[in-house]
Amino acid sequence: MSDRFRLTDKTALVAGDNRLWSKCVVAALAEAGADVAVAAGNSAQLTEAVNEARQHGRKAVAIPTDMTSSSQIVNMVEQAVAEFGKIDVLVNAADLQFARPFLEMTEDEWQTVINTNLNSVFYCCRAAGGHMLSQKKGRIINIISCLAERGLANSAAYCVSMGGVLQLTRALALEWAPEGVTVNAIGTGWFAEAEKTGLVDEEHLLRYLPLKRYGHPGEIGSLLVYLASDATDFVTGQFMYVDGGLMAHA
Amino acid sequence: MSPLELKDKVTVITGGGTGLGKAMALALAGEGSDIVVAARRAGPIEQAAREVRELGRRALAIPTDVTDSGQVNRLVEQTLSELGRIDILINNAGIVRGQQMKPLWEITDEEWHLGIDVNLSGAFFCCRAVGKHFTERQSGKVINVASGEGYRGVRGNFMYTCAKGGVLQLTRTLAITWAPHNVQVNCIVPGFIDTATLQPEEIKQAMEQLWGTRSTRIFIPVGRLGVPDDIASLALFLASEASDYVTGGFFIADGGGLAGGCATTGYAPVITMKEELE
Repeated sequence: MSDRFRLTDKTALVAGDNRLWSKCVVAALAEAGADVAVAAGNSAQLTEAVNEARQHGRKAVAIPTDMTSSSQIVNMVEQAVAEFGKIDVLVNAADLQFARPFLEMTEDEWQTVINTNLNSVFYCCRAAGGHMLSQKKGRIINIISCLAERGLANSAAYCVSMGGVLQLTRALALEWAPEGVTVNAIGTGWFAEAEKTGLVDEEHLLRYLPLKRYGHPGEIGSLLVYLASDATDFVTGQFMYVDGGLMAHA
Repeated sequence: MSPLELKDKVTVITGGGTGLGKAMALALAGEGSDIVVAARRAGPIEQAAREVRELGRRALAIPTDVTDSGQVNRLVEQTLSELGRIDILINNAGIVRGQQMKPLWEITDEEWHLGIDVNLSGAFFCCRAVGKHFTERQSGKVINVASGEGYRGVRGNFMYTCAKGGVLQLTRTLAITWAPHNVQVNCIVPGFIDTATLQPEEIKQAMEQLWGTRSTRIFIPVGRLGVPDDIASLALFLASEASDYVTGGFFIADGGGLAGGCATTGYAPVITMKEELE
């Protein structure tokens, strides 16, 4: 790896509870040289992610956190700072998938999707932002879905939550640009772990995707490391896709 | 007077003899505009002009190849000398399916230039030809016609997508350039419209893909192809005083296609909260 993409001596906080991303995201950051604090609600998953980072010889700490609780998220950031002394990179990776016809969706379901996917990002940025502003440097990377920019039937709450994070990305990027803190988003297309496919009508979906396959969570890592590195001081407010060509396609 | 009325206005429309162009010409004539119909073939534009006159408006049919800037300049000069003014320019000429799908390295210089010239340079030539008239009068409306394919990539369709993407940028740039002169420049973005330029076989294929249980190429949420009148209504709005504060805008009329496009089926399979939280 070119030195310009090294994350040596950097500290990353990966916040979110996603079966797909967490492990791969943490592995990519640790491989590039970062120490990683991992926060999520699911303890088995946390352990797995922390072990990934340690396998790469980096320090890692698990911080069990309910991503819908603003007070727990404040504690999460305090714990990460206590452990490593600073936060250079904040990765917001929460992604609660949910789909139901609009009129059948309950208010609780709507609130849970918005709380988990959107409000959690607000809480994390607010809690970690102060540290980054005082450092005059920081990286915030939001991992979201291409549905931030496109609609999909049965997916109103999910699309709204993702669109909200995208606009938070852009607005915060402008607000904190003078402070040396960059804010970018990664847009994911159709992803699946090798053992978990058949999410939708697979044959037709694969024919539809320009690259003719699902993405693997590991494929997000390279872009994530790029955005976390010092190579991207001049890149902010951007939405970059890892989607197999989906968003270029008619 | 209704804000949509176009009484005594003069509209020049390229590609106005058939399909979308003719529908727009007749819609504007219906609201009181005189119409100058321009296209390469004399037959269709003369027929369109007759139909405009039947609506009680003046009409000229001026055979014009928009890829030839000399012909475009003559179109504007002749219109000004015969009708005295131009209020609205609609850049509609284009080749919808003018290109064979073939590998990039087999596309000749001539094919590339033709595709760009018809779909993009023609609009530039027309804007340039009326520009002085519009800016001196401190009044004018330009309506460009792009395509949903100007927003997205389409496999193998190089010239059309590139040119239509260019039309979107021509719209923005001209809009801010001429904004101080009270000239509004906007762009209509049609989706799949059922017109004579789509060959019956293409319509059949499109409909099969549309109505088949799972579309792999064309996805139209409202479940039908557009008709020319869907676009004509938009042209009417953008030609009229109702849009005097509107410039540099893209107006998509595509049955919802561009809003989606992330799944073959157009909808997500139901995922319950319980499954996800377990």
